Amino acid sequence: MQYEPGLSRAELIELATKTYFGNVDAKNMEAALDCFHDGALFCVQTAFTRHSGKAEIRRMFEDFFGAYETIVHRDFTCTVDEANGRIAASFVAELTDADGSVTLLNNTNFWRVRNGKFQEVYVYMSGANVLV
Amino acid sequence: MADWTPGMAGQLTLPYPFYIDIVTKRYFDGVDNKNMTQVLNCFAPDAILHEATSDTVHKGRDAIEAMFAKLFSDFEQIWHGNFVHTGDPQSNAICSQFTVLITPNGGEQLRYENCNRFYCKDRLFQHVFVYMSGDNLLKEGDA
Repeated sequence: MQYEPGLSRAELIELATKTYFGNVDAKNMEAALDCFHDGALFCVQTAFTRHSGKAEIRRMFEDFFGAYETIVHRDFTCTVDEANGRIAASFVAELTDADGSVTLLNNTNFWRVRNGKFQEVYVYMSGANVLV
Repeated sequence: MADWTPGMAGQLTLPYPFYIDIVTKRYFDGVDNKNMTQVLNCFAPDAILHEATSDTVHKGRDAIEAMFAKLFSDFEQIWHGNFVHTGDPQSNAICSQFTVLITPNGGEQLRYENCNRFYCKDRLFQHVFVYMSGDNLLKEGDA
């Protein structure tokens, strides 16, 4: 194992799809950041982009929340490795900017969870990187 | 059983090592050694391989074979490693992150950081999604 497993299958799915993405979609910055360890890594692999630590992840979300009027993540298909504290999910990201233009992405995230929070998050995007 | 969908509940559940082994010891070992039979034996006859970052879809084992024939012909060396797996017997699926080192004929080695999502039906890949950190290498076959 990479990290000590702790959460159940249901808890991993709840953390990734509800606690995390629910708060991202609601632009609840503090609640979204609370899913991460202070030294977490957030990597957009399809763009070779890395945000290291909560301060950099906060800055990334500030720009992301500011760039879109509405953010919706939906249609999750989860793959859960409970014994190793990992979860992956495919989903649709529907991003609407102030002009009403909609960006649709079919992405995949991988989360590595330690003690109930994200230690590493890897994002693979079907289009241009929106988490700069 | 209802019509199969990727990761659906109620499927055949195989031991955890099966998922790691079909990805690493069978599929990618076959790709890296250009062993077409070993690669194709991992796929259902009507399997779909979908390269998501370029939205390229290869439908059926014949199309997948043509794609790999082109890949094997165009690149002199292929290596997949540094795997981290998210294996899930309950949904008959595995998602894998890995590094690819690949060298075009007579060219410089390229490095990719990719992921695949493998959704099995029974014991074979039925739907595979590929995300690449660079230009799509899994192009339509010439055949």
